[in-house]
Amino acid sequence: MERFVIIGAGAAGITAAQTLRELRPDDLITVLSTDERVHSRCMLHKYLGHERDAQGINFVDADFFEKNDITHIPGETVKRIDTAAKMVYFGESYSLPYDKLLIATGAGFFIPPIPHFREAPNVFGFRDLSDALAIDEAFGRGKRVFIVGSGLVGLDAASALCERGAEITIAEMAPRVMPLQTDDYAASVYQKAFEAHGCRFLLGIGASDAVVDGEGNITEVILSTGEHVPCDFIIMAAGVRPRIQIALDSGIAAERAITVDEYLRTSAPAVFAAGDCTGLSGVWPDAMDQGKYAAWNMIGIAERYPKPYPFKNTSNFFGITMLSVGRLDLTEGAEILAHRTPTEYRKAILTDGKLTGYLQLGNISNTGLYLYLVRNGVDLSGRKERIFDLSFADFYGINEKNGEFAYKV
Amino acid sequence: MNDCCNNCNTCPSADKPMEAYIRALPMETSHHRVAKQKTKCGFGLQGVCCRLCANGPCRITPDAPRGICGADADTIVARNFARAVAAGSGCYIHVVENTARQLRDTGLTRGKIRSEAALEKLAKTMGVAGEDKYDLAVKVAEKVLSDLYRPEYEPMELVEKLAYAPRVKRWKELNIMPGGAKGEVFQNIVKTSTNLSSDPVEMLVSCLRLGISTGLYGLQLTNLLNDVVLGDPEIRPAPVGMNVIDPDYINILITGHQHSLFTYIQDRLLDEEVVAKAKAAGAKGFKLVGCTCVGQDLQLRGAHYTEIFDGHAGNNYISEAVLACGAIDAVLSEFNCTLPGIEPICEELKIKQICLDVVAKKANAEYMPFHFESREADGDRIIDAIVTAYTERRGKVPMNLFRTHGNKNTLTGVSEGSLKKFLGGSWKPLIDLIAAGKIKGLAGVVGCSSVAYGHDTLTVALTKELIARDILVLTAGCSSGGLENVGLMTPEAAELAGPNLKAVCKELGIPPVLNFGPCLAIGRLEIVATEIAEELGVDLPQLPLVLSAAQWLEEQALADGAFGLALGLPLHLGVPPFITGSKVVTKILTEDMVGLTGGRVIVDGDARSAADTLEGIIEEKRKALNI
Amino acid sequence: MKRIFIDPSKCDGCKNCSVACMEAHRRDGGSGVCTLDLTDPANVSRNRIVTDGRGGYDPIFCRHCDVPDCAGACMSGALKKNQTTGLVEYDEEKCAACFMCVMSCRYGVPAVSADRKRMIKCDFCVHLEEGPACVRACPKKAIEVREV
Repeated sequence: MERFVIIGAGAAGITAAQTLRELRPDDLITVLSTDERVHSRCMLHKYLGHERDAQGINFVDADFFEKNDITHIPGETVKRIDTAAKMVYFGESYSLPYDKLLIATGAGFFIPPIPHFREAPNVFGFRDLSDALAIDEAFGRGKRVFIVGSGLVGLDAASALCERGAEITIAEMAPRVMPLQTDDYAASVYQKAFEAHGCRFLLGIGASDAVVDGEGNITEVILSTGEHVPCDFIIMAAGVRPRIQIALDSGIAAERAITVDEYLRTSAPAVFAAGDCTGLSGVWPDAMDQGKYAAWNMIGIAERYPKPYPFKNTSNFFGITMLSVGRLDLTEGAEILAHRTPTEYRKAILTDGKLTGYLQLGNISNTGLYLYLVRNGVDLSGRKERIFDLSFADFYGINEKNGEFAYKV
Repeated sequence: MNDCCNNCNTCPSADKPMEAYIRALPMETSHHRVAKQKTKCGFGLQGVCCRLCANGPCRITPDAPRGICGADADTIVARNFARAVAAGSGCYIHVVENTARQLRDTGLTRGKIRSEAALEKLAKTMGVAGEDKYDLAVKVAEKVLSDLYRPEYEPMELVEKLAYAPRVKRWKELNIMPGGAKGEVFQNIVKTSTNLSSDPVEMLVSCLRLGISTGLYGLQLTNLLNDVVLGDPEIRPAPVGMNVIDPDYINILITGHQHSLFTYIQDRLLDEEVVAKAKAAGAKGFKLVGCTCVGQDLQLRGAHYTEIFDGHAGNNYISEAVLACGAIDAVLSEFNCTLPGIEPICEELKIKQICLDVVAKKANAEYMPFHFESREADGDRIIDAIVTAYTERRGKVPMNLFRTHGNKNTLTGVSEGSLKKFLGGSWKPLIDLIAAGKIKGLAGVVGCSSVAYGHDTLTVALTKELIARDILVLTAGCSSGGLENVGLMTPEAAELAGPNLKAVCKELGIPPVLNFGPCLAIGRLEIVATEIAEELGVDLPQLPLVLSAAQWLEEQALADGAFGLALGLPLHLGVPPFITGSKVVTKILTEDMVGLTGGRVIVDGDARSAADTLEGIIEEKRKALNI
Repeated sequence: MKRIFIDPSKCDGCKNCSVACMEAHRRDGGSGVCTLDLTDPANVSRNRIVTDGRGGYDPIFCRHCDVPDCAGACMSGALKKNQTTGLVEYDEEKCAACFMCVMSCRYGVPAVSADRKRMIKCDFCVHLEEGPACVRACPKKAIEVREV
C-alpha cells in the first residue's frame, strides 16, 4: 500500500487525486490545501457576483473526498518537504510521510513594484476564494474599484462587480483590453460592452504611485499620466507567478517555476509537480491534464506529458462569447483572413498554408476543431477560401473498431 | 390517435374483422406499408420544406430560419398550403365540370332525366327557364359551365343564388367572393409559384375564396346536377362491406368521384344483349361493387339501381382488400381515390383496370376514353374488355371471399331532400329536438379515411364520443365508408348514443349517424345547415353545428376545409395540414379566423379531447341561441 | 458502453435525426413533431449533418469519447465521463458557461445555447427508455446503437 500526498486542491491536484483513486483503489491518498474549500478559480466571478455560493463554485461533488476515500486537510499550507525522509511538514508541528508526493500549488497573483501597492491592505488579488471573500468584504465598505490589468481575470472581477453597482476603473498597459486573446476589433466589442455596464478603461496607461491614508490603504491611484483616480480598493490582475516557495524552501529545483521533466518529475526523488506551479501552461484544461499525467507517472505508468499548447481561451462576458486560439500576435509573413457581420467576427491567421491563429467572436458553437487545426499544424492551403466554414466533415474519419471519430488529414 | 402496433405488420383499423382479413392477406396493402413509412419527415410534417426552386429543397431550422431566397416559415407554409388548396379545388371543379357537361349532353340528346323535380328546383334557384326539361337541363348546365369558365376577375353569377345571404354579405365584406372557379385555381397556382407572393395572410384569404368556389360548385352543384340525371336519393336500408360481393356475377369495382361518367355503361350493363354476354361467359350478369366516394354516390341513389349495384364495399383504404378477394374482375376508375396500391394486386389477380378519365390514369390501366358522343361504341368496348377479363381470370386466380364482413341494414340515401321528406317536409321536427336538447347539436364527420395513424380509428372513436354526448352525426365522404362498415349507421347503433339521442333514434327508427354519401355531399350538409339557419333566422356560425374531417387525407379535403371555414364553422382535424411550422398561418387558421368568418381549425388527434372541444363549442352556441 | 455508430454512406441528409433530437429535448412542454418550433433557437439540434463536398453527408454526433476532451477542459465539474455508462454527462446547473469544452472538442461537437448560458451536446436521450431519438428516427439506419 502506497501513501500519496498531494499539495494543492486546484485543477491539477484534484485531477491527480481522482486519477490515483481510480487506478489505486486501496492506497492512501491525502490532499493538503491552503484553500479552505475546493473551488474553481475560473468561477470566482460567479461567487463575487453573488450568482453562486461557495459550494456553487466547487468543481467536484460536495462528497468528493468522502466518496473517493481521500483525506482532505484544508486550510493548511505546507511549510517544508524533507525529500530525504519523505515527509511534509505543515501547521504548528504536523508532519505527514509519503511514498509519492505531488506539488500542485498553482500560481499566485503578482503585484508589480508600484509604491504602496505591495504593502497596502486594500490591494487584493483575484485568484482564490479567499481573495473573493476579501474583495466582497471590502466592497461592503466602498464601491469605487480600481482594477490593474484587463486580462480575463481583471474582466472577470469587473463583470462580477459591475453587476453589483460598482464604480470601476480598469487600467491596462496595452492599447486594448484582453490583449493576449483579442485583436483590436474584438477588444473594442468587449470594451464597449463593459463601458455600457459602467466600467471605465484607461488604455496604455499604468499606475505609477498611490496616495495612502493613515492605515496604509490606497485612497487614490496616481496614473502614469499624473491623473489621480480615487478608489476604495484595488484588484491586481496584472499577471500571476507560479507558487514555488515550497520548492525553494525544500531544495527542489525551481527558477521561475518548479522544474519538471517530461514525466513531470521534479529534481527530488518521488516528488512530482503539476499545474500552474510548473509554468508549463496557465490554462485549466492543461492543469487537469498534467494532474492526470502526474498521477500516472506517480504509480509507475510511464507516460510522457506532451508539450502543452497554452495559446487557447474562450471568454463569455455579458453573453458575448469568443474563441481565441493560437498566436494572434504573430502576423509577420502571415496571411490574414477576416469575416465580419453585425453579429459575428472571425479572423484566421495562416502561415505557410497552416492555421497559426484563429479568433471567433459571436456564436462559437462547433468551433472546437480550430484548436486542433492550429495545434497540429494541419495543412489547409487547399481550403483557404472555406477557412471559416470548416467542420469535422472536412476531415471526417471513423475508427471502425470503437466508433469514435478519427481525423483524416 | 393509436399508433401502429409494433407486433403486427399492418396498421390497426377501427374495423377489426377487416384488420384481421388484411393482416392475413398474401399481398401487400397500404395497411402493410404504414410501418415502413412510420418515420415522417419533420420538415414535411410542419410544411417548412420548400421545393419551389432549384435552390431547394430548403428547410427551416433554428440555424436556418429562412430559405435561400429569404422566404421564412410563414411564407413557405402558406405557399405550400395554398397550393394544396388550389389543387384540391381543381379536383372538385374538374368533377363539377364533367358533371355539368354530362347534364348538358343528356339534355341535348334528350337522354334519360331521372328527377325532373330536382331539375326544376335547381333551375328555380338559378333563375333559369327552358322550353322543356331537356332544354332546361341544357340551360342549367350551361349556366354552371359559364361560371366555371369565367376569368378569375369576373365574379361567378351563381354564388349569390346558391349561398346563404348572410354569408354572402360577410364574404363581400371580406372581399372573398370568388371569380371563375378555374381562374381562381389558376391564379393561386401562379401566386404560390417561385418568388411570387410571400404574404401568408393574403394567401390564406385566397384559400377562403377557393373554398367558396369549391364548396358551392364542386360540392353542392355536383350533387344537384347529378340528382337530375341519376335520381334523387331515397332513404333505405342496404348491405355494406365485403359481403355485398357475389362471385357468381362479373363484378366491376368502381372507384372515383364522377358517377355521371359511367351512367351510360351502368344502364347498358342491364340490357338483355349485354347480360347475354355475361351469361355466355358463365356468369349470372354484371354487378357494380362500390368503393370510394363514387360507391357512396351509387349507394346514396341505390333505390334507382337495385339491380346493377351490389352495394358499397368500403372506403378508399378497403379497395386493395376488396380486390384481393378475387371476385372482382375489373376496376373502372374515373377519379381519385384510386390508390396506386391496387396495381400490383390487379396485376397478380389478372383484374382488368380500365380508366375512363385520363386524370386518374393508373400505370397499368387501359385508358378507354368515354365520350358522350360515341358512348355506345365506347361503352361496348369497355364492357367487352371486362367480359374478356372475366373469362381469362376466373378459375385461374384464388378466391378469398369475406362474406361475413359488414352488415345488411345500414341506413342509406340520406340527403337534404330525403331527410326533410322523412321529417315530414319540414326541418321543424329536427329543430324542435335540438331546441329541446334531445339532440344537443349536429356534427358533420366528413372527409376521408387515412391509415398512417390507424384506419378509420379516429373517425370511429370520435363519432362514438359525439353520439354518446347526444350529438347527431351526419357524414359524407370516405369517413362514411368506415362508419357504416363498423355498424354505426344501423338502427342498432342507437344503443351507443347518449340517452336523449338514443330515445330519438329509437322513436324515429334511425341510427345516430346519418350517411349522406360521398365527400361531395358535404355540399348537401351545407344545404341542410343553411335551411335550418334560414328557418331560425340566424347565420351559419350561430348554429350548434361543428365539422370534423378527423382523418382528412388529401388536397381536396383541404379545399373542403376551406369551404367549412368560409361558412364560419368550427373544423376539427386529426392531424395538422402541414402548417404548424408557421406561427402566423397556425394562428390565423386556429384563432383569428373566428373574427373573420366565424370558423376555425381545431387540431386534435385524440378522440375524447376533440369531442370535448366540439361539445364545448356546441354548448356555447346553444347558450348564445338561448336553447 | 453503448455508442451511436455512424455509417455516413447511408446518410441522405434528411435531418430526421436533427428533428428527432430537437423534439426529444424541447423544453416547452409540448410533444409531437408537428408542434415543435423549428424556428426557435432554443430548440437547436445536438447533432448535425454536414455535406461532405462530394454529394454525400457526414453526420456529426457526439462520440462520448473514451477520453473526452470536453470533460477534460471543464472547470466547473459540469461535464464528466460516467465510468459506469461511458456517457459524457452534462450538468447544466453546475455549468459556468465558459465554453472551454466547445474549444476543446476537436470534432467541433459542442454548441453554445442561444442565450449563451449553457452548452449543448448529446445526452444519449437518457430520459427516454427507448434510447436515442435520432437513431429511431433515421429512415436509412445510418446510425445505430452498438455496444463497444
